[in-house]
Amino acid sequence: MAASEKEPAPARQVGSAAGADMPDEHRARAKAHAAALAETAASVALELPMSADVDEFRRVLAAGAKP
Amino acid sequence: MTDLAALSARALAKAIAEKKTSSLEAAKEAINRLVACHELTNCIVALEADAALEAARAADAAVAAGGATGALAGVPLAHKDMFDRKGKIASWGAAIRADRPAEEDASAIAALNRAGALQIATLHLAEFAYGATGHNYVLGHARNPWDPARITGGSSAGTAAAVAYGAIPLGLGSDTGGSLRLPAACCGVSSIKTTWGRVSRAGAMPLAPALDTVGAIARHVEDLAVALAYLAGPDPRDPAAALLPVPDYVARLGDPVQGIRVGVDEKVISEAHPAVQRMVEEVLAILQKVGLQRVSCAFPDWQTLDHLVQLVQLPDASAVHAAFLRTRPGDYGPQVRARIEVGHFIGAVDHLTALRARGTYLQRTLDRTFGDADIAILPVLADPLPTIAELDIGGGPNVQAAMGRVVKFTRPVNYLGLPALTLPVPRNGGLPNGVQLVGRPFAEAQLLAVGQAYQRKVPPEIATPLF
Repeated sequence: MAASEKEPAPARQVGSAAGADMPDEHRARAKAHAAALAETAASVALELPMSADVDEFRRVLAAGAKP
Repeated sequence: MTDLAALSARALAKAIAEKKTSSLEAAKEAINRLVACHELTNCIVALEADAALEAARAADAAVAAGGATGALAGVPLAHKDMFDRKGKIASWGAAIRADRPAEEDASAIAALNRAGALQIATLHLAEFAYGATGHNYVLGHARNPWDPARITGGSSAGTAAAVAYGAIPLGLGSDTGGSLRLPAACCGVSSIKTTWGRVSRAGAMPLAPALDTVGAIARHVEDLAVALAYLAGPDPRDPAAALLPVPDYVARLGDPVQGIRVGVDEKVISEAHPAVQRMVEEVLAILQKVGLQRVSCAFPDWQTLDHLVQLVQLPDASAVHAAFLRTRPGDYGPQVRARIEVGHFIGAVDHLTALRARGTYLQRTLDRTFGDADIAILPVLADPLPTIAELDIGGGPNVQAAMGRVVKFTRPVNYLGLPALTLPVPRNGGLPNGVQLVGRPFAEAQLLAVGQAYQRKVPPEIATPLF
């Protein structure tokens, strides 16, 4: 078979843990734990102002300093 | 004859400077005690006796010539094996680290070198510092010097064991979710978990950089102050290192503590084992005796904080380990691998939500928890000191829940970035445990002054096996 007629390589599994070679039971537990945490994130997101940003933590930390 | 093992680092430095003992004598005794401690606790990664004795002779020569400088001149120390030292490879407690030697010292190591300290060994830690109990499936598990069947706590396990045993007065560690507080509590010594950004992490092994802090473990609170005086401050090698002024921690050990309000969140504390709750009450009674005032306080919902810190930590750690996990997954121990793998399933939006919420939750803590309190008291361990066997669960199905229970009272504090001083509770003849005093940002000096006052009532002890 000519090179151009080769079967395409199987699509690489998508997902950041794809290469982690995880046993199925590990994967299931990890997903369940992440799902529980995601519920908290969704709840917290509801009360956050849109202006909240990741740098705010450092500003509050410095402003609250009591050396 | 002076019992060198019982001295604080500060007192030992004074004795060396006044030629009441020598650095060489101190180093020899420290090495002997550390070897004995290792047989009991598995605390050593690498003993560096020859280099340490040579450095001790140089320190004594400097004293003789009047040229010794630094608050820890000639004092033998040893540290968690996660700090770069020029020309050496830190193991990080793992099998995976055999690549290239460090090109320069970690900033924390350089700071203690400026203080004149010697380093006699590198010490045990959880694999990649990712463990709260002292279990390590690569190095072997660490054992508690009070009872070798029980955990040391982790991840700074070797430092806590060696300090408790009196082999060294002081050593470095790190804290991302409790890794200074847990081993200090389990081994019955003190530690300072610094405000995020107070101490440079340059050259220290990263675990989850958004949470990582460097600090120290010691028997004597005054030694934590001496160490922090050298460790704290800005560092161009760590962009997260705060630019705020560094107080004179040693001078402020004598600050009056009368009237300092210690906040008690009874709802959070009620989630600890009843025996641990009684320990907190006992410490509170002592703090009131030295002049502190007990008040009520309330942290933000503790389970929410615990979930938020995981949403930061898990993907942060997974990102640090992404390349190794893809290429060398078999080189990870089962527990660390299981925990790192979870981070791959945290969504980016959830991770960013936790990071975006961090300022809001910290502000809420400062306004409400610390509105009427200067410091807050919390347990360190949720339970009385567990055995190694009880928590020898590898990467099994209960790992998240079991480890979650161990770090229940510690890792939310990392989300808030606040400083925390661990103090041992009175043992009353039994096994050690500890409490943490949590302060406002950069309030380490206040915490240390309270700790110094507490130690006048509860003096430091040297561990001897009880069983």
